[in-house]
Amino acid sequence: MADTSTPPERRVVLPVDPTRRTEIDKQRVPMSARPYRLLALVKQDAVVRVQKEPDDTVMTWPHLLSIEFLAAAMMSIFLLLLGLFVNAPLEELANGNVTPAVAKAPWYFLGLQELLAYFHPTVAGVLVPTFVLVGAAVIPYVDRGNPTATRPSERKTAVVLFTLFCILGLVLTFVGIFFRGPGYGFAIPYVNTPGLHFAL
Amino acid sequence: MSFLERVDQTIRRSAVWRSLFRQPYPNDERSRAYAVMNNVFLHIHPVRVRQHAVKFAYTFCLGGLSFFLFLVLTVTGVYLMFYYVPSATQAYSNILAIQSEVTFGLLTRNIHRWGAHLMVFFVFLHMMRVFYHGAYKPPREFNWVVGVVLLFLTIMLSFTGYLLPWDQIAYWAITIGTNMGGYAPLFNTPAKLILLGGIEVGQNTLLRFYVLHIMVFPLLAAIFLAVHFWRIRKDGGISGPL
Repeated sequence: MADTSTPPERRVVLPVDPTRRTEIDKQRVPMSARPYRLLALVKQDAVVRVQKEPDDTVMTWPHLLSIEFLAAAMMSIFLLLLGLFVNAPLEELANGNVTPAVAKAPWYFLGLQELLAYFHPTVAGVLVPTFVLVGAAVIPYVDRGNPTATRPSERKTAVVLFTLFCILGLVLTFVGIFFRGPGYGFAIPYVNTPGLHFAL
Repeated sequence: MSFLERVDQTIRRSAVWRSLFRQPYPNDERSRAYAVMNNVFLHIHPVRVRQHAVKFAYTFCLGGLSFFLFLVLTVTGVYLMFYYVPSATQAYSNILAIQSEVTFGLLTRNIHRWGAHLMVFFVFLHMMRVFYHGAYKPPREFNWVVGVVLLFLTIMLSFTGYLLPWDQIAYWAITIGTNMGGYAPLFNTPAKLILLGGIEVGQNTLLRFYVLHIMVFPLLAAIFLAVHFWRIRKDGGISGPL
């Protein structure tokens, strides 16, 4: 601290005639008592009206960072426990000549594979995924409703359509994961097939 | 003053410590603002955030956790790369060696596998969260598009990684996956040929998927993540409350 080495400035405050004391004189105090000076007094509604909006913000440190840290820590513990107790699947060496009884795509493509059971591969493998991705990307440019309407009740069409789409995708994926057995035929797990035909 | 306190003081007063952390531990608003602003990792955040944004039930930390999983996958993936050769004759035995011989190899592979599935899942959930909050509305339209690109990259990262163990699950999942995509009417044969490097899944496919998985898609994802985070700030921070 450089400024503590020099002795504090001594200022003499001259007495002012009590009858002539102004507002500024009343506020005047020795520098040793207050390390700042009163420059002017602005009465309310005087020159500039200071508009202060209600402050709805909090400090990032610690409010946001502590939550982020906690979330990351929980996820780390969860992954560690998962990795300790559940092994990643590994079957025998890849062999193009031996087709397994049940061959499935990764789970996020099983909705598409399920569509493959009903539609031509061009539809299920090309048109639908292209439509889904491009459709998702253009959502903000299609939904040109009131930009401030964020409550679900204010934008029922968008919410209902999106929810229906999500449910459709989930159901297709769910059927593909659990209700498809050998030869990708319909099968109820544990009833007419021995267990789940699904690898993560 | 106890011994530990003296050690603590000595470390904090050392030239190295004070060059590393320019301020003491932030305890008041001013120093906390500086701590966020002056730290290369924390300055991704604004100094202050809106109150509703720190409520867990608003974001469920989905985007942040997706990014955290991306980091976990990068770290575990780099470790696995030391022991893995993308060769049709070696890949499978490398996986077996990782599981049985490499220190923490099994754990690392498990975390990489489960983390990858979780990341796809969390990116999906993040997207749903953003939709239901109407957070793609102006001025955030383009950041939503960047998010869709990131979803695509996440799925592609997972899909290309799926082949690398070179076991029956991997082989046939990729065969089915590429068969579905290979029906693109305009560039049917070339698209599949380019993707697989042949008419069926083989050595060329393994090498292609490996390069895409460890280099091309992570780099693209990192670039789009940077744009994604940058635009959150530029578009006025996190979206408003419901």
